Amino acid sequence: MKRRQVKFYVMTLLSVVGLSSCTDLEIEESDSFIDEGFQGLENTASAVNQMYSGVSRLGDQANIYALREVTSDALLIPTRGADWGDNGRWRKLHQHEWGLEEQDIITPFDNWNASQLAASQILDERSGATPGEAADAYFIRAYSMWSILDLFGQVPIRDTQLPTTAIPEVFTGAAAVDLIIADLDAAILGLPAVAAGNTDAMNRGTQAAARFLKAKVLLNRHIYDAQLTGGGGTPAAADMAEVISLVDAIAAEGYALEADYFNIFRNTSDTETIWWTESGVGNRIWNGLHYNLTTPEQAGGWNGFSTLAEYFDMFEGDPNSNLEGSGQEERRGFVPTEGVAAGAEGTVDDDNDGIADGSNIGFGFLLGQQYGPDGTALEDRQGGPLSFSREFVDGDGAPNLINNSEVTGIRVIKYNPRFGGFTNHSIQFRYADALLMKAEAELRSGTGNATATINELRTVRGVAPIGDLDEAELLEERGKELFVEGWRRNDMIRFGQYLRQWEFKGDTETANDTRLLFPIPLPQLLANPNLQQNPGY
Amino acid sequence: MCFGVAKAQTVSGTVSDSNGPLPGASVVIKGTSNGTQTDFDGNYTLNNVTDGSVMVFSYIGYATQEVSYTGQTTLDVTLQEDAQALDEVVIIGYGQTTVKDATGSVASVTSEDFNGGVIASPEQLIQGKTAGVNIAQNSGEPGAGISVNIRGANSVRANNNPLFVVDGVPLFGQNTDATGTSGRDNDATSATGNPLNFLNPNDIESISILKDASATAIYGSRGANGVVIITTKTGKAGSGGVFEFSSNLSISSHNRQFELLKPNQFLDAITASGGNAANVDFGGGTDWQEVIFRTTTSTTQNLAYSQNYGSGNIRATLGYQKQFGVIEKSDFERISGRVNWNQRFLDDKLKLGIQGTLSRTNRSQPPLQGNAGFAGDILGAAYSANPTIPNNPNIDPGGGLLNPRNYLDGAQNITNTNRALINASLEYEFTPELSAKVNLGYDKSDSENVSVLSSNIINIDGVSNVGAGTFNTLERENQLLEATVNYRKEFENSNLDVLVGYAYQDFRNFGFNSAARGFNTTDLNGMGGALTSTVNAAQNAISGSFQQFYYAPNRDDLTVNRLFPNAETTNQDINFARGVQALVFDNFDNTDELQSFFGRINYTLSNKYIFTATMRADGSSRFGPENQYGYFPSGAFAWQIGEEDFIGDGFSTLKLRLSGGITGNQDGLGFGQFVARQRYSQINLGTIQNGVTIDNENGLAIIATDQPDLRWEETTDFNIGIDFGFNNDRLSGSIDFYRRDTQDILLQTPPAAPSTNPFQFGNVDASVINQGVEFALNYDFIQSEDTTFGASFNIAYNENEINDFAGSINLGPVNGPGLTGAFAQRFEAGVPLFSYYMAIFDGFDGDGNPTYVDIDGNGVGDPDADKTFVDEDGLPDITTGLNLNFSHKNWDVNVFLAGQFGFSVYNNTANALFNAGQLNTSRNITVDALNAGENPSASTAVSTRFLESGDFVRLQNASIGYNVPLSGDGTLKSLRLSVTGQNLFLITDYSGIDPEVTVNTGQLNQAALPSRGIDWTSFPNPRTITFGLNATF
Repeated sequence: MKRRQVKFYVMTLLSVVGLSSCTDLEIEESDSFIDEGFQGLENTASAVNQMYSGVSRLGDQANIYALREVTSDALLIPTRGADWGDNGRWRKLHQHEWGLEEQDIITPFDNWNASQLAASQILDERSGATPGEAADAYFIRAYSMWSILDLFGQVPIRDTQLPTTAIPEVFTGAAAVDLIIADLDAAILGLPAVAAGNTDAMNRGTQAAARFLKAKVLLNRHIYDAQLTGGGGTPAAADMAEVISLVDAIAAEGYALEADYFNIFRNTSDTETIWWTESGVGNRIWNGLHYNLTTPEQAGGWNGFSTLAEYFDMFEGDPNSNLEGSGQEERRGFVPTEGVAAGAEGTVDDDNDGIADGSNIGFGFLLGQQYGPDGTALEDRQGGPLSFSREFVDGDGAPNLINNSEVTGIRVIKYNPRFGGFTNHSIQFRYADALLMKAEAELRSGTGNATATINELRTVRGVAPIGDLDEAELLEERGKELFVEGWRRNDMIRFGQYLRQWEFKGDTETANDTRLLFPIPLPQLLANPNLQQNPGY
Repeated sequence: MCFGVAKAQTVSGTVSDSNGPLPGASVVIKGTSNGTQTDFDGNYTLNNVTDGSVMVFSYIGYATQEVSYTGQTTLDVTLQEDAQALDEVVIIGYGQTTVKDATGSVASVTSEDFNGGVIASPEQLIQGKTAGVNIAQNSGEPGAGISVNIRGANSVRANNNPLFVVDGVPLFGQNTDATGTSGRDNDATSATGNPLNFLNPNDIESISILKDASATAIYGSRGANGVVIITTKTGKAGSGGVFEFSSNLSISSHNRQFELLKPNQFLDAITASGGNAANVDFGGGTDWQEVIFRTTTSTTQNLAYSQNYGSGNIRATLGYQKQFGVIEKSDFERISGRVNWNQRFLDDKLKLGIQGTLSRTNRSQPPLQGNAGFAGDILGAAYSANPTIPNNPNIDPGGGLLNPRNYLDGAQNITNTNRALINASLEYEFTPELSAKVNLGYDKSDSENVSVLSSNIINIDGVSNVGAGTFNTLERENQLLEATVNYRKEFENSNLDVLVGYAYQDFRNFGFNSAARGFNTTDLNGMGGALTSTVNAAQNAISGSFQQFYYAPNRDDLTVNRLFPNAETTNQDINFARGVQALVFDNFDNTDELQSFFGRINYTLSNKYIFTATMRADGSSRFGPENQYGYFPSGAFAWQIGEEDFIGDGFSTLKLRLSGGITGNQDGLGFGQFVARQRYSQINLGTIQNGVTIDNENGLAIIATDQPDLRWEETTDFNIGIDFGFNNDRLSGSIDFYRRDTQDILLQTPPAAPSTNPFQFGNVDASVINQGVEFALNYDFIQSEDTTFGASFNIAYNENEINDFAGSINLGPVNGPGLTGAFAQRFEAGVPLFSYYMAIFDGFDGDGNPTYVDIDGNGVGDPDADKTFVDEDGLPDITTGLNLNFSHKNWDVNVFLAGQFGFSVYNNTANALFNAGQLNTSRNITVDALNAGENPSASTAVSTRFLESGDFVRLQNASIGYNVPLSGDGTLKSLRLSVTGQNLFLITDYSGIDPEVTVNTGQLNQAALPSRGIDWTSFPNPRTITFGLNATF
């Protein structure tokens, strides 16, 4: 009897407990949408915003920008005392001695593949994107795939309809180019036509931007075709013809050269801008300026990025001075000896000193003594003159990438802090590049008049016309027109110059064709057996 | 006729203890069932007591007294508290046992053995007291977190802290404090608060540490890192109630400083290194260490009232603690109240227990930042600031550097946290064998952080001339329902004890993060007020549910991102006062659940052979249906060899313990990592350097991708231990050997690209093995009536190794000028966790440039290409403690020394700041760095040059107490005065401030592995002298 009673109590207790609390352990949609796998996006308009927000990473000074510029003759970052040692990351890129685990190589692989996937998710039919949203997604997917192909030679593609655990297929060479071209054709069809000068609308894909990118891909197609199989190759005439017609189609929308060169790199309207991203330009401005080059908005530069004297010497002008009015060509910019009066167009005077903020900081290439707003000669942090030198030398005066002082190296600045130190307006595609692509297509296919095309640009930039354009001159022109805009590596590879010796490149790295591609990140090789390490790594 | 027959009489009297009458004490005639209990006033009356019989007076926690009855009518007895008896009871999971019967590796520390002095949180009470339990106070910041590692570090990404259980309620493992970044940096790493800050250490009766799987497996998936069970004090003595009052006054100071160059030395050094001294001479002379450090006075007051009234007892306490850190603007305040009430009903068959704590902690933090870059945080700025700069907040040091005075004056970071932990248990005894218990727990914390940097601050991008602030809240709510049934049966030669139970616990986290730029005031409280009122007004202005909102001067409207019912972005007019120019706000709210079934069987045979088996099935909402439940069994056997006949009287105790089991871990794994989830991506003002615009439209993003295979981390654990005692345990000790193997390590690894996120959680094919030995020894040298002297010593050796991992992950970011992306440690198979991986420094060459050993054999020693494992790691191999207790009459002295050996500290501070090159940037360095023979233009890279042995011995605690003799007739029943010193000296070769350090130096990559042993301007542990007074009345 008693036993039964006990049993009853226990059963009651357990069932009360059980009823009130047994749970299926399912989580609730309290602050996020939950799906058992990708089932389509909740809101495609929002996802398009997010996709473009991702692309704004193009303002970064590291990662893809470093791969495109620091691995070339255009930029280097010496180690200045303790500064900028940064685990050797900058030095190794310029020396072509990068290893298998550089963060600046791994991150772009992750990032641009992520952008590619974000676009694919918008394009997944279950997401139900509008045709306009889809066109944006095609454009960004093409840009992302092209970036990966250009740097790594292998593009993994994820089918959003398959489970997340599915291993992505990998496309290389011609097959990868075909995918990119197909996306660009869809983008050109669906994107809006935005006329030149309507710059505010060009932070998203336009027909002109998609045509520009298609021209870029076609111009490089022969390089991509043979990327993993020894390189070489010659451009197909049909591709060159299409480059020319794509550039002509861009020009037909009113895109044209802008007379005032440095005016292009502002957030105002101009006829050259084809595509800009909402990326802060602060990295581009401050990464090379010295700590004591300041504005009320910014406590000074970061004193890192510099260029080689040999790059500077491509420009016309006195090799030892770039002071304002010393006879240099417009594109080389100048070093002012003092600021300009407050009230100058586009400037502010937050500190009320009567001088436009940041107007003592020059344009283009900064060489020699730098000056404060009132014309005083600036000093470095040790109290010595702030005078940027052409050469990179260590304490013993020997050329060196490490053990430099604060003032070695010519600094490069294309966006000027007087127009805002962190303006979110970073130029990605512009018409001068399109025109240079046209000249190159004409030169490579022997059609049209490449010399006339390039002289169209040279005339606007105020330099003497060229007699008979050759490849070397074309590369040099691209170097002078497009410096630090993210094209140098791509150009040098296409012109066969990327493997040549330049100052501080590693002794054994000259002519090392392994360096034409970056290594596939090691964890990716483990995660995706369809990827194979690039030749030589 | 009646000759020789004893005469039965009636006896009455009072049973009391040192505090007064003792209700509920039992009085029994030995060998009979004749007995009674004392009443509310401690009085008893017992009939039929015969001459010569023995009366037994007993009460839990007191030494039992036996008195031979000699015919008196009144017999008063005073019972003595029995420390020995209390020691023997060990609280284990869902029950208690005694040291004698324990099969697992369990250590218990009770209040009389706790560390003294300024104690902010309970772990400090037992620091160094127990072998194999490494409690490291990584920062001297008041209220900062403490890391507790039991038997090494098992897990990598997941938390290595043990599960804390307070009065039966398992707490959530994560921090409860909202943290702020002031908008200076997105992942700024200020020390998070200790989640146990809410408990008043004065309320704690005992702390049990469950070390091996046989003890912890009853906590299943949360037992892998050990379990710490905290039991609070209950009212146990004294009718009419006893008041206890204690008051402490503490004086703290920093005991080690860097020897930095004085102004004239600094200017000479600038000249010597080729600089222009006149141009960097600001004309002043400031010892910046003196500016930010201070000597402080802290106080603690506690008042407790306890009463035992026979059928129950109650204890209520009020505590107040205000502790000031040795760096300006660091303080910690706690106001706590606690009630413990136990009541017995129905002939003691029904027991009700209610425990509740309410507390408020207020924390102020100086601008410290573990991932600070070249300019350093407030400490880095102070160590490196040009000493000729006057102590004036308006001076710009130039070169993008910070003025410490200016930075200190312009920063404020305040966290207020309320927490309530309440639990109620009801236990009913159906029969003497069978009882059942229901336990309900509720734990709620509600924390708010307001952190601001004024626009007056010089040289912080996005803050100078703008002003920045963050206002974040974090609320956590944890509910527990637990039911257990217990069956105990004594057989002729054996005992059986069976426990089965069910538990359900849910954990809700909610709150928001907000950040602002652009303030109209530089008054720090005014800035905080403007921020909080604007956030509140904006929230009120929005109808319906939302995830985010934001506005900025370059936008016309308030933009609101909504998730439910439909994902949409809406814009509305701003019709509230904009106290800040730009504001972003983001909500979060999620709940995880845990459901468990568990059981334990204890079987004791012949009092010699003890068997224990436990099993727990844990179901967690953090895993998908496939792996939702984890099963965690354990078994143990103990053999009281000392009870065997073949062991002579040489041993008073000899016991062998064997155990094995599986425990789990799911900590560190966030909410919903096994499904695909979409949510608006984070909007950051901080990435936009001029701070008052928002340009990029953020949108819905996939924040987690489905990972159906995600499962538990599992630790398999084996333990062999021997407990021994000689001479009635005057010499006693134990030795334990263990091996723990953690499999299916939860790590964030890169999924195959293209993927939404570059890293996601997964179980990697890797294991972490910890094996080691623990040894503890106690000896009572002197045991006389007036004088006692005892020593206890413990030492533990632990060896840690990663196995079977195909790959390598870098960790341990090193920060400072020219050290972006630099790191010091690597995770790879074949080496211990937190192994150092770097170039080997080979001295300076003739020019004073550093040289490195050539590892790759290319003929050049390069600090980047020639990195290697240097056979050092950040985890101590040996931890040890020595406790000495001496008492003579009313005086007592306690000394406690702690030591750690076999680990290295990476001196990030020296790497970043104390090298000749810093003179180039007109920053101060140490005298040692100046004399090291280094070329001022030499580059500095991570290398063994800055890796130092961390071995140390610390005089952690020393106290002298005096119990004032009292007549006992007055109101005052006892009075004790004491002086305690903490951290009185440190013996170490480490050149930094303190080798017992772990600064969270941020994330090197999104794998985000934590690191250990990196010292980047850590908050020094202070030296503290405390004067204490304890009184009962």
